[in-house]
Amino acid sequence: MIGSLYLPGHTGLHRTPAGLKLAVLALSSSALMWVHSPLLLLAACALVCLSARWAGASLRQVWQQLRPLIWMLLVLGALSAWSQGMLQALEMVLRLFTLVLAALVVSMTTPITKMMQVVVWLLWPFQRLGWVNAERVALGVGLTLRLIPELAVQWQEIREAQLARGLVPSPLTMGVPMLLRTLRRAEEIAEAIDARG
Amino acid sequence: MLIEFKNVSVERERRLVLADLSLTLSEHRIGVVGPNGSGKSSLVRLINGLLLPKTGRVGVDGLDTARDIAAVRRKVGFVFQNPDNQIVFPVVHEDIEFGLKRRESDSKRRALRAQAALERLGVGHLTERSVHTLSGGECQLVALAAVLATEPEILVFDEPTTQLDLRLRNRFERHLAGLPQPALVVSHDLALMQQMNRVLVIDQGRLAFDGVPIEALEWYQTHCG
Repeated sequence: MIGSLYLPGHTGLHRTPAGLKLAVLALSSSALMWVHSPLLLLAACALVCLSARWAGASLRQVWQQLRPLIWMLLVLGALSAWSQGMLQALEMVLRLFTLVLAALVVSMTTPITKMMQVVVWLLWPFQRLGWVNAERVALGVGLTLRLIPELAVQWQEIREAQLARGLVPSPLTMGVPMLLRTLRRAEEIAEAIDARG
Repeated sequence: MLIEFKNVSVERERRLVLADLSLTLSEHRIGVVGPNGSGKSSLVRLINGLLLPKTGRVGVDGLDTARDIAAVRRKVGFVFQNPDNQIVFPVVHEDIEFGLKRRESDSKRRALRAQAALERLGVGHLTERSVHTLSGGECQLVALAAVLATEPEILVFDEPTTQLDLRLRNRFERHLAGLPQPALVVSHDLALMQQMNRVLVIDQGRLAFDGVPIEALEWYQTHCG
């Protein structure tokens, strides 16, 4: 997995306002829940694949981002096939894959700061009521989005370090250094933000 | 620039890292050297309030770092040892503009200031790049541009050349020489320390030597080498 979801570019998708992309993503994701025809789901999946290509993503880049999901899809698909039948399993796998790919296309074409502006805009009424600090919530959302791919890179580095020492990575041997490094990274980012005033 | 430490002590994780330090700094270029874990980074972190003293007071141009923290941070720009720790957002211009948010409300002017800071360091072409695709030297320059864009009156560098190869280190030295702001530089790079007006040697949390580079570095090499 690469260290950032966003792919700088100047395609039509990059120029589309972030709010519109997020609204279309939310609406189409909800709509997909009501679609049960594998053919329609396949068409939706093809459409999203084309939009990923339009966004300027290469097959390799998409694969790098989705690789961790493939195993989960296979396990879920197998469980679903066993309990509900092949057609249901196919439907579930296609729906999930399409949803994740659509979210990835939005992430690849939308800078985090633009997404943060949408969060601020959405929370503005609540801020007026004094319920939330929209800027802070947006910063939290932005930093979370920023750190998700970084955690995957970190996981890979720890795994390679353990393999290099002849160790077999396990949830415990991976979990402890992941937790420590994540906490340290959070501290470093907080310090960097503080330092900028 | 006038930075004053008055009877400053700092504790980190119940360990005294700086003890009863009293010091006035007003030179244009000040170097700080010392062994690992001697308290150098703690000393410079006190200057923009990243660290607050347990006892004593740190003043920057009359401002108290504990009381006037926002004003102090607007005045003092801090460049971290590892640029990866400093760069918060994934695209170069996003990261630089983020640091300007509280200083410039107009997004177009923020973008212009960010671009100008990059151009000034000769890396204007990096503006749209993802920070993950930058080399170590480019990252260092972007981190420096992010600080310069905020137009600080004082600069603090925490081991700025540690991760740079010789060519980039020399480039950094040239950039440093060209900056109009007074600067404090923590470094193990003794050749860089030679360029300073004054060098402080910190050892075991105390100011062990304070003087011109040639004397301070000789003392450092004799006693800490």
